Amino acid sequence: MSKRIKIAIYSGIVPSTTFIERLSKGLAAKGSHLFLFGLKNGRVPPLPNSTYITYSNMLSKLLVLIRYTFLLFVIKPKEKRKLDKIISKSKKKQLVLKLKYYPVLYHCPDIFHLQWAKSVEDWIWVQEFGIKLIVSLRGAHINYSPLVDSKIATTYEALFPKVDGFHAVSKAISLEAMKYHAALHKIKVVYSGLELERMPFQLKIVDVNTPLKIISIGRAHWKKGYTYALNSAYLLKVAGVDFQYTIVGVGSNEELTFQRSQLELENEVLFLEKLSFEEVLESIRKADVLLLPSVEEGIANVVLEAMALGTLVISTNCGGMDEVIVDNENGFLVPIRNSEVMASVLKRISELPLPTYQKIVIRARNTIEEQHNHKKMVVEMRDLYQKVLNTEL
Amino acid sequence: MRIGLVLPSIPAYSETFFTNKIKGLEAHGHTVVIFVNNSKKGTFNTSKCKVAPKLSGSLFQVGSISMFKLIYSFVFHFKKSKRLYLLDRKDGLGLFQRIKNIIGNSHIITEPLDWLHFGFGTMVFNRENVAKAIGAKMAVSFRGFDIGVYPLKNPGCYLRLWDKVDKIHVISNDISALLYKHGYNGKAEIIKITPAIDTFYFNNEEHQLPSVKNSFITVARLHWKKGLEYTLEAFALLKKEGINFHYTIIGEGEEYERLKFAAYQLDLLDYVTFTGKIDHEKIKDELNNANIYIQYSIQEGFCNAVLEAQAMGKLCIVSNAEGLSENVLDNETGWVVPKCNPKALAEKIQEVLALSVEQKSSITQTAQKRVREEFNLEKQQQEFVGFYK
Repeated sequence: MSKRIKIAIYSGIVPSTTFIERLSKGLAAKGSHLFLFGLKNGRVPPLPNSTYITYSNMLSKLLVLIRYTFLLFVIKPKEKRKLDKIISKSKKKQLVLKLKYYPVLYHCPDIFHLQWAKSVEDWIWVQEFGIKLIVSLRGAHINYSPLVDSKIATTYEALFPKVDGFHAVSKAISLEAMKYHAALHKIKVVYSGLELERMPFQLKIVDVNTPLKIISIGRAHWKKGYTYALNSAYLLKVAGVDFQYTIVGVGSNEELTFQRSQLELENEVLFLEKLSFEEVLESIRKADVLLLPSVEEGIANVVLEAMALGTLVISTNCGGMDEVIVDNENGFLVPIRNSEVMASVLKRISELPLPTYQKIVIRARNTIEEQHNHKKMVVEMRDLYQKVLNTEL
Repeated sequence: MRIGLVLPSIPAYSETFFTNKIKGLEAHGHTVVIFVNNSKKGTFNTSKCKVAPKLSGSLFQVGSISMFKLIYSFVFHFKKSKRLYLLDRKDGLGLFQRIKNIIGNSHIITEPLDWLHFGFGTMVFNRENVAKAIGAKMAVSFRGFDIGVYPLKNPGCYLRLWDKVDKIHVISNDISALLYKHGYNGKAEIIKITPAIDTFYFNNEEHQLPSVKNSFITVARLHWKKGLEYTLEAFALLKKEGINFHYTIIGEGEEYERLKFAAYQLDLLDYVTFTGKIDHEKIKDELNNANIYIQYSIQEGFCNAVLEAQAMGKLCIVSNAEGLSENVLDNETGWVVPKCNPKALAEKIQEVLALSVEQKSSITQTAQKRVREEFNLEKQQQEFVGFYK
């Protein structure tokens, strides 16, 4: 890339999710000029080549609003009038929209990369000012929100054809998005990439004579499928398998606590509150197997992390999980909503000879190194930006 | 007799359990005072209702209300307030909590009562000594969530209660079994009074033939307790068997997204209708239009909807969660299936579909007769009058 391109990575909050933070970091390191707009949600890590326009309390919001109203008024009065017209047509609170929109119009990035598809209606206007709009296709926003709320589906169908480019977190999600008229040639699959140098692989010695240490990580949301995992834990117990199952991130969720009590699994199953990223990695390292019982996912980051660290993974075959895991090769895939199969595979894992275990986790690490490394993610995302900038639609 | 009833809010007209109980007691010459935590208006007209002091909002608001209530209680109800303070101290409560309890219960302390009845177990916290302080007897109702779910997240939450309560009301035998699990010591008498329904309103006089042959229905809040995801999975199994059917779920709730996605993922979108919330009269129409009522709950106190379905002559298949197996007698008035087991539910549904017309009507007739005799409003009123004797 010859010219330094200006990219806005927008999720509405700064700092954002792990994936988005990693992406920002990588792009900034590669010399793109980054713009991060939104609500300040904690300590902002200083990135080179980056401009932060954030706000938190009422006062800071007011100051940002006054500043950019003034700047636009003086420097880009025509554009401001045009945007004000667009804003006045919206039913949403005008001042809130101005606070969100004005800084973007003023800095006018080459690319506005929207992380959450559901907000596409709020940001389609950027195209009127020569800004290319890229939308990420991830998780719930594509996989079930439009199914449940037909209004979202209608919005997608109307606006997806106009979007300049899509970043898909998996091939599976591209197919879902195409149902709402996202054109295949505009979609690029860019897999989540890990900073592998920070996640050294550790070849485990799993002792079949100690209880199998199973772990799941993720908040107590129905899509995580923990009810199926608990039912399979019960079957495992009935089958006489010695195990300890920890779910990190669910705390004392009512439904799961009730189910655990009903299944009398208090001694086998432990619920923990959310842990920090470092603590999560540590708990994955200590486990023999990471279980992903979800009914819906893009590609779950915890699975990638476990595979990088050398912990065996068993995952349901949902979303794009089969793009990472090849059953019996680098992990295990089981059907969704099926506690019996999940239990039987867990039992098999508990009896796995050490050489087999090690062979699988080594292959898993290789998959991650080839397909989910941070460098690859940044290069591919830049390719997507470049392609969009070079294409006149 | 003056009976105080402690509830979260004024019952809605449709909350038959409370409204019927109150009407019955008043008809027998008792006075019922309702104590509620929030002033949200219910649709039921009550003779006397007192709202707990609002202890939320700005510091100034809370402070001034607290001071006022505290001074008022000590000036006009010194003896009762002092007794509450001393009883709470005996229980080892901290000074702050003791004062808070006087303020938080000031609306109850002012009333002369013979009985103080807590409508749900969870209403009792920080009020364990109020009945004794005002010289009333204490009763507590346990209905399901309060003893089945709440103590799991809050172990030992009822330990201070068991020595103080005079009578316990439960809505099913399963719930009395749960009391023992959470520390009940056998001292207070347990009386079972089941829910009841208006058997004149729910009948099958307007009986019509369903438009779809195998038409199933559930009336439930979309909540995890209702086991609707398992129900949908059972229907997915039926679909695989090539059985044609339609399933209607009436109700709204926080799990809509989960259930709608499940219906999509299980390829049932054409087979399942989510109606959302609809009014009472329309529910009756929908029930009329179905053959089989399903209530495959994970946790359930008793479930009025199942009584209503039986009264309307529907075949009922329910889970064995708490009171449901008393609500429906397996193979006599319907069928009871082990909960959380979609395969078992699907098999039972197939079995029921295969029954002869005579077999089906024998079941519905027995169920209808039983509901009319055992779960009618008059019987419930009588039982509550007896409860306070």
